[in-house]
Amino acid sequence: MIALILSLGLGVGLFVLLYVLARRNHTPVEGSAHLFVEARGSLRTLQHGLLPPDLLNRIFDRQDLRYVVGQTPPDIQKLFLAERQRISLLWVRRVRVEILRLMHFHRGHSRFHSRISLLTELRLALDFAGLLLACRILEALFYFRGPYAAPGMVNATAAGAARLCTASEKSLSFLDRANLRPFGGGSTRGNATI
Amino acid sequence: MNFIPKRNDVVAAADDLRRRTLAHLPLPLERMIYLASTRDYNSGLYHHQGLAARYSEVAACEGLADCHRESFRELLSTSLEELVRQLEAYAESTGSLASNFVTAWKELEPYRVAVPVGTDPLAADFLFSNLKVALTIFENRLTPRPPLAPLA
Repeated sequence: MIALILSLGLGVGLFVLLYVLARRNHTPVEGSAHLFVEARGSLRTLQHGLLPPDLLNRIFDRQDLRYVVGQTPPDIQKLFLAERQRISLLWVRRVRVEILRLMHFHRGHSRFHSRISLLTELRLALDFAGLLLACRILEALFYFRGPYAAPGMVNATAAGAARLCTASEKSLSFLDRANLRPFGGGSTRGNATI
Repeated sequence: MNFIPKRNDVVAAADDLRRRTLAHLPLPLERMIYLASTRDYNSGLYHHQGLAARYSEVAACEGLADCHRESFRELLSTSLEELVRQLEAYAESTGSLASNFVTAWKELEPYRVAVPVGTDPLAADFLFSNLKVALTIFENRLTPRPPLAPLA
């Protein structure tokens, strides 16, 4: 009886293993270049479009709020707050999407192209998870309590995202033109450098 | 226009533009609208005859684009209070009736086609949002307020 149970257990275990292996993602036939391009695009969007301090200071600046509250009637105050809420939600949702893209890139491909230690990878995974959680919390705060609900958390999220951008930049640095230079023109006839 | 201009020519063309033409347009809002108006809707290329004659057509185009991006950035960093002031001043400079100006801008939203190519959608949306609120404040100032009730 015990032998039968063991055999059955082994059989189920092997079946599960085969199922998991069969479901694993494989590298597409056309290669994974598009993932690098996507990651590079996300990095650029974050660094130049969503995280510049000037833009963040303007979006969450209380000077505009003070002006509107002090100088305009309630209907304009309402319009202003609704608009700033819309913009702040747009900001945090886009930051989250771009962070997710970078995380997918790191999870799947960066380890093949840069030397990252296990400790660094763990720290990076924690950073990604923390940042995604912070984005969700910020989204809820903006939605329920308005755009000025958590200025400290906005700054912390932006700083965390900037740190991840720096880490991702290192993983993608091999795509920089300067780093590609040694591969071009360095080959002699019949003796490829690469 | 199928060759790359020298960077020096582009910088010189942009400086020339700032010194001669843009010096007469002190407000970033005016500058952004003016520079957007020098851009062809169909090709996205900027044209300025005087500048093209002095430098080259490509250098003039790039110089105009640089100045356009610069004015957009300036406007983006402008506070709401300052934006209302700029709108009022710009409406006055156009010579049209302030109420007509507000109506036209609210309905047509001409500022939506006045942002430089390649602007991040969030930055553009933020500026549109601020202009929408600023226009509402401007409009509110135009409507006559009821007289204060006399004191008993």
